[in-house]
Amino acid sequence: MLLTSVIIVLREVLEAALLVSILMSLCFKLGIERSWFKWGVLGGVVGSIGLGSQLGFISSLFGGIGQEVVDAGLQIFIYICLLYICVEFINHYYQRHAVSGTLRAVLVIIILCAMSREGSEIYIYLSAFQSLPHASVSLYSGSIIGLGIGLSCCALFYYCLLSFSLLRTLILGCMLLTVVASGMLLQAGKMLIQADLLPDGQLWDSSAVLSEESLSGQLLYALAGYEATPAPAQLVLYLFGVVCMAAVVLTRYWHWQRRKVSAKVAGYEE
Amino acid sequence: MNSLRRFLLVSVLSALMLVNFIAALHGYRSSMVEAENLFDQKLQAMALQLSSVPLRTTNNAPAPDDESMVFQLFNADGKLVWHSVHAPDQYIAANEGFSENNFNGYRWRTLSYFNFVNGHRIMIAERLDLRYRLAESVILESIVPVVVVLPVAGLLIWLIIGQGLKSLAILAKILRGKAADDLSAVDVGQAPNELMPVIESVNSMLRRLAESFERERRFSADAAHELRTPISAIKIHLHNLRDEYGQDNESLLSLERDVDRLAHLVEQMLLLHRTTPDHYPAKFERISLAALAREVIAERYGDFVSKDQIIELLGSDGDIDGDRFAIGILLQNLLTNASKYTQHGGTIQVKIEALENRNRLVVVDNGPGISADVKERVFERFYRVGGDRHSSGVSGCGLGLSIAEHIAELHGANISMAAGDNDCGLAVTVDFPKTRTALKASRSLAMEKYGEKK
Repeated sequence: MLLTSVIIVLREVLEAALLVSILMSLCFKLGIERSWFKWGVLGGVVGSIGLGSQLGFISSLFGGIGQEVVDAGLQIFIYICLLYICVEFINHYYQRHAVSGTLRAVLVIIILCAMSREGSEIYIYLSAFQSLPHASVSLYSGSIIGLGIGLSCCALFYYCLLSFSLLRTLILGCMLLTVVASGMLLQAGKMLIQADLLPDGQLWDSSAVLSEESLSGQLLYALAGYEATPAPAQLVLYLFGVVCMAAVVLTRYWHWQRRKVSAKVAGYEE
Repeated sequence: MNSLRRFLLVSVLSALMLVNFIAALHGYRSSMVEAENLFDQKLQAMALQLSSVPLRTTNNAPAPDDESMVFQLFNADGKLVWHSVHAPDQYIAANEGFSENNFNGYRWRTLSYFNFVNGHRIMIAERLDLRYRLAESVILESIVPVVVVLPVAGLLIWLIIGQGLKSLAILAKILRGKAADDLSAVDVGQAPNELMPVIESVNSMLRRLAESFERERRFSADAAHELRTPISAIKIHLHNLRDEYGQDNESLLSLERDVDRLAHLVEQMLLLHRTTPDHYPAKFERISLAALAREVIAERYGDFVSKDQIIELLGSDGDIDGDRFAIGILLQNLLTNASKYTQHGGTIQVKIEALENRNRLVVVDNGPGISADVKERVFERFYRVGGDRHSSGVSGCGLGLSIAEHIAELHGANISMAAGDNDCGLAVTVDFPKTRTALKASRSLAMEKYGEKK
């Protein structure tokens, strides 16, 4: 029970906390105030309980595939939000204007959605097993250990990101967000496969090399949506996610670089 | 990172938690494996004992059990001769040795053992969930403290870091509480070696700053003082020359005007440096602005009369904490300026108003005034509106308002300029803090501003 609790909680906490630590470090480096964070967390906690307690109703939607569809929808929505955030961060790096209300709202929504999705799974797990009297110590100990490992990893990761220069943090942050967001698309693909909305299959089985249950497997799952046995549809979605986000981010980056060069040339001509 | 203490607490606690929890998990897994081995050994010992029990009949009464462990004993013919109450009739283990099997609605750890001495086969089983629970409850006794102790560890780390950063906090407090004119060395007491270079650098910088200020002050004061003597000598010689060449000699009149201007400039320079907020040895006392203004007006009355100007003193007493000499200079400069730049027959008013938290001194005239764009610049040293060719044609050195600003800063007062009554002329307003506490607060703020300006 203890190990199961650790794995389940760690898996969910890592995924949300890694995203939060990347966003927080980027905001800190770019001088974007972070008061939005508490609202996102508060909304995430409420959303977790709400989503977890209404699971029965959600599952019954869309002919019994409601949970999968809602889960996949949330993941795709977070992907789109992260795409917007990356572009805004690059804009903010080159042009330090006041942070717009939209950007703040999107940051709150991302944290809210990510925490609700992951938190609801923890809520369901805990509420399902808390009725077993003999299991409560191992259940809660395991959950605290999972939570502790997840939060520790992310806190250290956050300070690690802060140790880089602004440009490096921005580049690294955008790359990480691309990977995380694409990982979410991959997970959305998994949900859609479970709902029979996408074809199933197995491209390879890498569980012998890196088990999904190991700590490094959990980390890679949280960071890049690692799957030991991915389906072709998942791989297609993942690649689409990486290419699309990288293209948008690079286009924005080059746009600002060209403007910078043009401004320099204009300066020389004057 | 915003806070060094928070960074250290979070990162140290995270590292500690990560390492401890991973170690605890590793310990948990190893202990569980070890517990499994111990349970298996116990099962094996029991099987050995049960298989050696001498059985007289082939139909023995079932042995009592506690549902968590059951056994079956078969004789050399393979006939079930003895079993525990809850053991099923069929074989509970399919394979020789240890295996896991399902029966009675549970999963069991089973051992099938053949005794070569008497030809008996014993099959013994233990419920997996119960032994797993038992093993876990024992191991959790060592895991739970690791989890529970974390808040204590966090508190201890917080206190230790606080103690470690105490010298830094003291240094920050001293620097924060330092007045802008306090350039004395910083003393943190028993500072750690890591902080010593910072303290030494700060003290060295403060020392050099103090020396530099002192040099500047002494040079200006000495220069101005040394200039007074030859100017006085020139004035005497000029007086003698006018007696010799006649009082109306144009060249000598011009020379007298220039020498007067030079003398005024030197006096003003001397005053400017005397009244510099970080040098001036102010003696604060309770003074009445109205009484002081009356004295200054009386002293300068000749100037107003010579230009047929009307001078009025209006308002309340306006008691403030201030340096009598400095406030006198401030009033003198404001009134001299007003008289200088106001036309013949103009009106100059000195108004003293008691407001809620401050006493306001306003010197207002109906002269030409100054344009908005130069209002800030007139407080700069040697700045004169229109340069030396001021439209009024009066001589000046552009230091009067700088001195007035210094004196205002010294008193934590705010000096500003606006158009006079009916948008005509100029009104110079000085807001003095009313109480001693407000004076201290405003003075500290003003000194900071002065330091930044410097």
